[in-house]
Amino acid sequence: MISALMNPLALLQAARADRRNVLSEPDAKSLLRSYEISVPRGATVLAATDPSLDDLAFPLAAKLVSRDVVHKSEVGGVRLGLRDRPSLERSIDDLTELARRLRIPFDGILVEEMAPEGVELVVGGTIDVRFGPILMLGIGGIFVEIFGDCVFAVCPITRTDAAEMIGALRGVAILRGARGRKHVDESLIVDALVKIGGKTGLLVALQREISEIDINPLIVSDDAAWACDARIVLAPATGNPGA
Amino acid sequence: MPGSSSRPQRGTRVPSDHDAFAPLFMPRVVAVVGASATGINLGNEFIRHTQALKFTGRIIPVHPTAATIEGLPAVKSLSDIDGPVDFAYISVKADDAPSMMASGAGKVRYAQVVSSGFRESGTGQALEQRLVAAARSAGTRLLGPNSLGTYSPRGRISFIGQASDECGNVAVIAQSGGLGADVILRGQNRGLRYRAVVTLGNSADVGPVEMIEHFLGDADTKVIGLYAEDIGDGRAFFRVLRGNGGRKPVVVLLGGQTDQGSKAAASHTGSLVTGTQIWKGIVRQTGIVLVQTLDEFLDVLLAFQTLTPHRGTPTRRCVLFGNGGGTSVLAADAFDRHGLALLPIGKRALDRFAALKLFPGTSVENPIDTPITTLRQKNGDIAHDILRILLEEGDADAVVMHLNLTMFVGSADQTVDFLRNVMTSVFRAHEHPSPHTHLLLVLRTDGSEAVDKRRREFRAEAVQRGVPVYDELVNAAVALTGLAGFERHG
Repeated sequence: MISALMNPLALLQAARADRRNVLSEPDAKSLLRSYEISVPRGATVLAATDPSLDDLAFPLAAKLVSRDVVHKSEVGGVRLGLRDRPSLERSIDDLTELARRLRIPFDGILVEEMAPEGVELVVGGTIDVRFGPILMLGIGGIFVEIFGDCVFAVCPITRTDAAEMIGALRGVAILRGARGRKHVDESLIVDALVKIGGKTGLLVALQREISEIDINPLIVSDDAAWACDARIVLAPATGNPGA
Repeated sequence: MPGSSSRPQRGTRVPSDHDAFAPLFMPRVVAVVGASATGINLGNEFIRHTQALKFTGRIIPVHPTAATIEGLPAVKSLSDIDGPVDFAYISVKADDAPSMMASGAGKVRYAQVVSSGFRESGTGQALEQRLVAAARSAGTRLLGPNSLGTYSPRGRISFIGQASDECGNVAVIAQSGGLGADVILRGQNRGLRYRAVVTLGNSADVGPVEMIEHFLGDADTKVIGLYAEDIGDGRAFFRVLRGNGGRKPVVVLLGGQTDQGSKAAASHTGSLVTGTQIWKGIVRQTGIVLVQTLDEFLDVLLAFQTLTPHRGTPTRRCVLFGNGGGTSVLAADAFDRHGLALLPIGKRALDRFAALKLFPGTSVENPIDTPITTLRQKNGDIAHDILRILLEEGDADAVVMHLNLTMFVGSADQTVDFLRNVMTSVFRAHEHPSPHTHLLLVLRTDGSEAVDKRRREFRAEAVQRGVPVYDELVNAAVALTGLAGFERHG
């Protein structure tokens, strides 16, 4: 966990100094953690021999970290459900080789514990020129991709707003036990939404620093809502502080 | 003005006429700059329509050469006027507007610039900035430019002819002058009576958010309507409506919304967010009512003018009652599409209906279908009996009574004015309004002059008695949906 101890602003400044406009996934996760959003345990390593991997419990996920790759799954940079040491080592080798083959910068491999099973949501944020920080909630997979099942709210949101966002999803029945599914604890989703879009939430606090955020998926399991992947786009360096 | 009101006092009243906007809505001295000595332009129109409303203050035309305008002695410049000017109506060439504004320095409190050729023209950005700067240094609040005027029946000023002199409790803010005129005239023909209609055009100084804030704080404004093309400071708009907390209904008609997600978006969220999506969120978060057309806007405003919202228990269960089988069936479908449910009639109500011995052909299932023969029972007074049962037993959130006026006007049986009797019996049934059940009327016509005339007559009377009247059942469904949207937030 390279930058786990950096404060959020320092993290953003470092990225900016490095002329990146998108935070690396490990940095994005650190930022989420500093706003108390649950992130799976993980470590960013350069090789399978890194001792920090010993602390992690299988099954694991391994993801290529490269400043030039925003959509890592599109280049085959994600390996999920690794059940044992040999498959982890093979994945780390493969991803290292992938970076070399694609001639992209290799910034390491993010190895994370797989989140427990749950419903996949998408949570996002953007800064609207008119209304400022806007929070989004959608149901993951085909629901948001194909049917555009997502709702928005102007920040800062309250817990009531968050609960009503959930209720406004067309596919809300999926969270409420449709077709034999388990009921999801909606307060976990409310918590996550408020940590991002609430009065002291990430999106509101950093509205001049970042321009967009995607948490996709946010997996809501029995115990927590896990931010399993995150992308945070920085605001243009010149910014528009008066907006 | 203690004791001057004939109506019972509603507890503590905010003395809203003494606030900052009093000079705009209740001006005593009005200057009109740009009215013609020979022809009729917007300035002349404003003078004539304001005089038609029996304005009691002074109107001072400003003209470089003419001695009189519209029979009123004119002065050469705003600077020649002794004492303060509450409201200046300015319709000069855009290029001349900033200097005109400067000439009223220290004197003019509100100036409405109706001239166009500013920001909206694409090239007038700098000119608009000069106009705003001139207003600031003159100490004048600016409405417009590119607006049409302000209508305030209590202040007896109007920019449009035929505007009613009756004061109401509906305040409308419009970023289009022409639409503002539609709101006034079409609205008043539907029974709407206004607190004020103010057109803001480019909103270069006074903007929609500031006006909303004013009317939210105005005790005599019951509902606010907003036509907006550019809300301006969206964050302030959101903050003000959050502060309102759904206490006063705000009905919003939006123009010029595009649904393009941001092209530059690097994220999912950025590509999915649209203006419509954000506004849906604002509706959920603040309880504003969003409508799609001018007619919906007026229909929903009328509901708020006449009905008392059931805070916290949104209107859903409805009873339809009237003549016309197919009409009832289509109406039931339309109500269903709007998320309004037709309530089954309860046992006790059914027993009471049985005692009325309604003529064969009557169906007392919901929708209640009463052919004209039934409506003529007791010379038309049967409507009262049916409505009382529905209001007392029905458990409905709303009863919508619909009449096809053509069937009465065109009937061979004109022994009695059945229609008048039916209406009278409806009003009698409404003398003790149910706190739980809204009553709405739908008066349908064939568009002929004779039938339309009767609708006009009954509409005015009904609305005055607090019963909103709609042209078709689907309009009533839209109005109830808007009402329910506000009630849900309560």
